[in-house]
Amino acid sequence: MRRGSDPAIRAAACLALAAVVGLPACSRRGDDLPQPATTAAAPGGIPASAADRPPEPFDPPPLADLDRDAKWIDRPVRDGLKLLREQQGREQPEDTAAEALALRNTSASVNRRILAALGRLPEDGEADFSARVDRHVPGDLGSTNPIMISTTAEFDILGLTGFGLFSFGRDLEPFASAESVVSWQTSADGLLDKVVLRDDMVWSDGKPITAQDVAFSYMVIMDPRVPVPAVRSGTDQMRWVHAYDDRTVVFFHKEPLATNVWNINYPVLPKHVYENTWEADPTLKESAEHVRLEQEPVSGGPYEIVERKRGQQIVLRRRESWSHVGGRQVRDVPFFKEIRFRIIEDANTALLALKAGEIDELALSPEQWTTQTTDDAFSARNTKVTATEWVSFHFGWNIESPFFADRRVRRAMSYAFDHDRMLEKLCYGLYKPAAGNFPEESWMAPKRKLQPYRQDLDKAEALLDEAGWIDHDNDGIRDKEIDGRLVPFEFSMLVNQQPLRIAICTLLKENLGQIGVQLNVRPTEATVIQDLTQKRKFQAYFGGWGAGTDPDSSENIWATGAGRNYVGYSNPEVDRLYAEGRRELDRAKRAEKYGRIQEILYDDQPYTWLFWRNSFYGFSKDLRGYVFSPRGPYNYTPGFGSLWMPRQE
Amino acid sequence: MASYLLRRLLLGGLTLVAITFIVYGLARNMPGTPLTVQLGETDPSRKLNPEDQERMRRIYGLDRPWPEGYVRWLGSVFRGDLGRSFSRKQPVITLIGERIGPTFLVSGTAFLLTWLMGVPLGLYASARSGRLDERASSLLLYVLYSFPTFVAALFLQVVFAVWLRDTRWELPLFGMSDLPADAGWLARAVDIARHAILPITCQTYVSLAYDSRFIKANMEEAVRQDYVRTARAKGAGPWRVLFHHAFRNTLIPLVTLLGLSLPGLIGGSVIIEQIFTWPGMGRLFFESIRERDYPTIMGLTLMFSVLTLVGQLLADMLYCLVDPRVSVS
Repeated sequence: MRRGSDPAIRAAACLALAAVVGLPACSRRGDDLPQPATTAAAPGGIPASAADRPPEPFDPPPLADLDRDAKWIDRPVRDGLKLLREQQGREQPEDTAAEALALRNTSASVNRRILAALGRLPEDGEADFSARVDRHVPGDLGSTNPIMISTTAEFDILGLTGFGLFSFGRDLEPFASAESVVSWQTSADGLLDKVVLRDDMVWSDGKPITAQDVAFSYMVIMDPRVPVPAVRSGTDQMRWVHAYDDRTVVFFHKEPLATNVWNINYPVLPKHVYENTWEADPTLKESAEHVRLEQEPVSGGPYEIVERKRGQQIVLRRRESWSHVGGRQVRDVPFFKEIRFRIIEDANTALLALKAGEIDELALSPEQWTTQTTDDAFSARNTKVTATEWVSFHFGWNIESPFFADRRVRRAMSYAFDHDRMLEKLCYGLYKPAAGNFPEESWMAPKRKLQPYRQDLDKAEALLDEAGWIDHDNDGIRDKEIDGRLVPFEFSMLVNQQPLRIAICTLLKENLGQIGVQLNVRPTEATVIQDLTQKRKFQAYFGGWGAGTDPDSSENIWATGAGRNYVGYSNPEVDRLYAEGRRELDRAKRAEKYGRIQEILYDDQPYTWLFWRNSFYGFSKDLRGYVFSPRGPYNYTPGFGSLWMPRQE
Repeated sequence: MASYLLRRLLLGGLTLVAITFIVYGLARNMPGTPLTVQLGETDPSRKLNPEDQERMRRIYGLDRPWPEGYVRWLGSVFRGDLGRSFSRKQPVITLIGERIGPTFLVSGTAFLLTWLMGVPLGLYASARSGRLDERASSLLLYVLYSFPTFVAALFLQVVFAVWLRDTRWELPLFGMSDLPADAGWLARAVDIARHAILPITCQTYVSLAYDSRFIKANMEEAVRQDYVRTARAKGAGPWRVLFHHAFRNTLIPLVTLLGLSLPGLIGGSVIIEQIFTWPGMGRLFFESIRERDYPTIMGLTLMFSVLTLVGQLLADMLYCLVDPRVSVS
């Protein structure tokens, strides 16, 4: 916890997906997988590309030259917990904690009161620093190596055990973490970032954490032999990372981009541990030493792993050497002495575990929120809260299929769907409708509010008629002559095997049936959906995305031929706006570009946007300090670091 | 005998190659790869470009045709290496090793309990066939047999871990152990045993119903045979007829059943392990399929196949023991 420094960032970053992936019955694996398409890569081997080569060697100019020419601009270095404390100092909650704990969360206003009263940080002497918190985790860790991680569980744990320089706050604005950084500066031309590290940091094995570790990690991540799953994108936008001494590191960029602040944020490996082992075994998992490190990793964050029982639990313990170096306290002591991640895959068991007090927190499904957490058995030990999360769901229309190439047809689909019924009945009135990519309250959304589509069957029929889909043969199904053949409007929709998702698709099926379109709902395993969408072997699919911390992260959904562009959308203006947005350093001007993108997408409807999904959490009555960001309660700074338990009198 | 064994072993070896070849082919041809799954989980803004994906495919050897992958896998098996898990970054043999103990604890105990109770129950049912008490117990067993384990598990959890919480009857909700690693061995053993009670119960009741019915069905056939009538005619007591004359003749199908349950002892149960978060083999297998973790899938397939074959071989050998008419040659 602690403002878990940068790993939290990564975590948040990753969370986006995790969130989307949602709460599948027994796993976090989901459809909606973000992910680059291989369509571009012909099977059978493509020629060696930039990805196969390490970065070209680079001869960094002397630091004195940089300092002379760069015209450094100071960037924010923040202490997330301190900021939160200051902010809360200006707020006055309606209720005391005891009053809030007695409330049943049945309305938005009660929800607000509970959050205001229980989300507060402790006063002096109020927190129990010897407390242990039991967290739920729905699946086991694949890896504990900071650069090899990719799942939510891994990011959750890295947020507590990993070391990094950067993070972002509740508003998703990036900053350097005051726990590890003295100063962060960017050159006036935007091509350099210079960071001076603190000199009072040590790894869990007692060796100092230095700028050399930061530069070394860049080299390992960028080595083509190392199977780095997630963290390589971003770092590959940099030209080089050089440590001038143990405390000063400079990031050299290829271009001055607004997204450079995210690219310099990557997990850091202890150089002294890996420098002699990684060359011999670049997979980082084969050699005996790497197998051992996987089990007993060296930690750079506030916590270290003290027990790892596969398929059961992972226990983290607060690291004395994080807060105290050389016999004096140099950083805040994290609130929890021990954090136990308990692996429970089964959603029912997990809820029972929360009710029984075996775990202290749990992300709830909408069904659990509505029907299984309203009884005394739940509220005896727990309370629950909800908050908006920037995760939206959609029907994706494959524009390369004969049905959906015409945008009139796609708009007809959006008009045909009974959005109100979905929101009220299927989603229990818990969600807000979505009109596009970016949440309307975010800075990147257009100034003019876009109205979410609502059902209008007349409009839908008119659009289909206009597009030439008319029931020529009077069989009740619309059809159209394509290449001399009468094609009936019958298509199938891929959807993950989750009841709510299937119900939403089935509702669409009913709606379309009313206007002469036949939809076949095909519940399918997540990985198969991923595979088929990536290869564009589908007609329509149900999916979802988390909005990134930066709007540029959606470029790979909408740019022509991009990795997550499963629906085959292509619009030169959108491509151009993304390219310009990345290069525009002025926030207001950037916002205009992304707002424009949102408007174009709204008109083109490559997706039928459905709803923004909330976070739902059950918390033990012993927990305090939960504050939600658009990425949930944990994965930002301070995030999990602001949670605490009161001292028992 | 030796030549019989040799023949069986040779055949077994060929069967193994065939099974693993087919399973490998199927696994590799399922839609999706470990990369699809892994990338599916990563942050959307961490976009891996197509070149990077191709690079990863090469690192994992997924760019080569699957028969080549199979031959390579087979080669390393002959060298005694089951490879490394893609998704768990550990040697497959370690993963299997970690799971064998917990799996066997549950399924071995359940197996013993099933047979210790199932055989007497089956005999009892045959002896009292058609009477009220037998009808009642049969009905109960049928009800149990058709009662889904996932419902029973949830029910047991609610009763023993929630309602009876903080009483002396309380049992743990999930997991295998709550004690820290430095607790004494006796305390740990008790702790693990308490955690195992509910999973064992769930695993026992279904097979108990099945096995006792199995015994009864076989017995019913046996008691209609001439030799039983003969035994009765010569004045043997009813229990002696049942046990000595009839039951001995139902041992052959029983031994077959025993042989077939050998892989199940190590195979574990996906559903029970999932619900109780028990770190067993069933979950490992299920997850490795979901994760398209080919080395783990293959390691487990190999182990299950070997056990199935060994189980059958043992059963065949046992036939000679239980039935003098059978000989190996």
